[in-house]
Amino acid sequence: MVSTLVPERAGPERAGPERAGRERRARPVSGAADGPPRTRRRRTVVAYLFLSPVLLFFAVFLVLPLGFAVLLSLSHWSGFALSGIEPVGLDNFAALFAAGSTFLVPVLTNTLLFALGTVALALGGSVLVASCIERLRFQGLWRTLYFLPIVTTVVAVGNVWKYMYEPGGLVNGVLNAAGAGSVAFLADPDTALPSVVVVQAWASLGSAILVLTAGLKSIPESYYEAASLDGAGQATVFWRITLPLLRPSLLFVCVTQFLTGLQSFALITVMTKGGPGDATNVAALEMYRRAFSYGDWGTASAAAFVLFVVVLLVTLAQLWVFRRKGEEA
Amino acid sequence: MTPDGRGAGTATGGAGGTGPSRRRFSRALAAALPASLLGAGCAAPGRGTGRPGDPVVLTLLSHYGGGESKEALRGPVDEWNATHDRVKVRTTAVEFDDLLTTLMVRQAAGQGADLVHPYCLWTGQLVRSGVLAPAPPEHAAEIRRGYGTAAVGAASAGGVVHGYPTELQTYALYYNRRLLREAGIDQPPRTWLELEEAAYRTTRRDGYGNTLVQGFGLSTYDDSTTVGQTLALLASAGGAFVAADGRGTAIDSAAGRAVFALERRLVDRGASVPGINMYQAFPAGRVAMVIGAGWWTGSLTSRMGAAYRDVGVAPVPVPEAGGRPGTLCTGFLLGVNAAGPHQREAWEFLRWLNAEKVGVGSGTGASTGASHKAVGAATRMSVLQASLGSLTGRADDMRVLLGADADPNLRPFLEALAYAVPEPNVPGAQRAKSLLRKGIEELWTGRRSVDEALRTVRRQVDQEVARSW
Repeated sequence: MVSTLVPERAGPERAGPERAGRERRARPVSGAADGPPRTRRRRTVVAYLFLSPVLLFFAVFLVLPLGFAVLLSLSHWSGFALSGIEPVGLDNFAALFAAGSTFLVPVLTNTLLFALGTVALALGGSVLVASCIERLRFQGLWRTLYFLPIVTTVVAVGNVWKYMYEPGGLVNGVLNAAGAGSVAFLADPDTALPSVVVVQAWASLGSAILVLTAGLKSIPESYYEAASLDGAGQATVFWRITLPLLRPSLLFVCVTQFLTGLQSFALITVMTKGGPGDATNVAALEMYRRAFSYGDWGTASAAAFVLFVVVLLVTLAQLWVFRRKGEEA
Repeated sequence: MTPDGRGAGTATGGAGGTGPSRRRFSRALAAALPASLLGAGCAAPGRGTGRPGDPVVLTLLSHYGGGESKEALRGPVDEWNATHDRVKVRTTAVEFDDLLTTLMVRQAAGQGADLVHPYCLWTGQLVRSGVLAPAPPEHAAEIRRGYGTAAVGAASAGGVVHGYPTELQTYALYYNRRLLREAGIDQPPRTWLELEEAAYRTTRRDGYGNTLVQGFGLSTYDDSTTVGQTLALLASAGGAFVAADGRGTAIDSAAGRAVFALERRLVDRGASVPGINMYQAFPAGRVAMVIGAGWWTGSLTSRMGAAYRDVGVAPVPVPEAGGRPGTLCTGFLLGVNAAGPHQREAWEFLRWLNAEKVGVGSGTGASTGASHKAVGAATRMSVLQASLGSLTGRADDMRVLLGADADPNLRPFLEALAYAVPEPNVPGAQRAKSLLRKGIEELWTGRRSVDEALRTVRRQVDQEVARSW
């Protein structure tokens, strides 16, 4: 049996310098371009055969669902019979932004506020905590403690915080002990979204702290020594040395937290189910309801593409901001 | 494609009224992507060859997935399988929260069950999507003859019966006798005025403003506690949520305004705290009154133990003394998949389960607390529902099954079958219900006034429901 992976000895020189040069331009990986056309074809076939499981995986789980989602976003479909898919053009997108529709306000605005609030709190909190941990003994223990919410299921986290927020719960107990009245955190539309944002930020603090701790450890000690010799105070060191050199880690945390925030679903489902009213309703929850509860797969798919565009724009904006400050993604 | 000819494209859908090019486009796209996406899963499990006389296996998808309900359904199904050689029934159960999704996904993949057991709220949606088959004339006549108006209405869409009503829930006023007595009230309220007075008198708070006892429980916990009780009050005031033609809302009316105003007053004056989970607060003795469905009695019995003796049930209060009673009725139906190959056999099984009467002996319907001594006959489904502490729409069966010494708290629910109105089940009813729930929550939280909330609900429901037609 002839192994098709063994490089053929026939090089470009044998086929003439002109052709060799052409092939080198066309295929930068010179080894793969070697050999007569039949051999190359055979290699290409074998290469695709090796790639086929992965390509098949992507086709089944990425390309087809994506194509189906595009089709649905331009159709009306109740979700039951495939023969009932009825093309409606851009009607679904128009319906999402029609007067009186709740998708833009409050659903999409809630989504952005939720993501923004989560990123702000998680980023600020994780920088603070990571910096403090750097000065403590038993750093591993502290990092583990802060990482615990990550390994806890969202359902458990949501339910525990839900009870803590209730009128007779821990948070109100603390407020009462301090002489303040009770607050209906999750039942009041004004406080419901911020309350859930706090939980999401708390739950995502651990992973951010891990990344930032790694970032802090990569900053050379010599910079701090030099700053100390120059008489720089702690605040100056933090603003002029720590924060600028943490920028790659901050970029990573910022982008990933924003993506998570924009797609948040489970925590809100557990804690408020989007209520009261639409006070905590976000895009992912709205999409799920439209598709699986209301049988309106068309607008659900259209909403998914709108959210995709929002996520893309937000991510590009973050990359642009960080690049302007000299940081590569 | 299945051996019996059922495939992804055999079910009828809602496409229609479009031009030839649109139809071609629809067919081409519907055939290409979804078929390739779902092709691998389209082969239905072996359920008989479909040839006359050959064995048939009917599949039944329900939400009786665990505990008592699973066992209760197994009884009659095992009995059918033991007594019928050719047609067998196989049950598949999921949690209620997953029922619609499972129904949807299996139907789209060409693996829909022969018998489906959906929530009546979805009837219009399922009929419009070509899932539920209309009942054959003899079955429709049997259903109209054997069941109450509300039950028939819940299992119908556009006046056409689509299945046998199974478990039926009417709404009534649960009250805590001890809390009412402590407030100097001996009888449950019969009018809205009495309801308000009792609610204010029973409400208790601590020094920090935390509510210790809610006079009247309004809860945002779920659709049942938010929308169900509002629609029950609306029915008691003679109002309706959806217009008679099913194409819009009718809640922006004098009755709707009166219900919204009542609820808003109760919240504003502190007698109701919507953020509290009613299913925990009432059994804990922290709510004096709440409107709820009949199934809750079984849950309260097991959860409250001896304290259950404080629980009483009365009809939903009416706006004024002497007014006609009214309440809401929700439920489930057992229907036949329109894409199923064995529809005749499926309907026959449903008739056997829901219409054929069997003798009711001692011990039937254990969980209702009744003791039966060969007192009469009832359908197998009625026996099943009574054993779960629930009702069917067959009032005569229920009277037999509940007996003289049954839990008296079940009586008001049974009596309500005579005057309850079915939950609207037009296409888009689930969406309309969600929009109403949001409107109610915005009213309770003070985000909108009574008039604003009514106007918003009307506008949103009309707009969204119109899309479903």
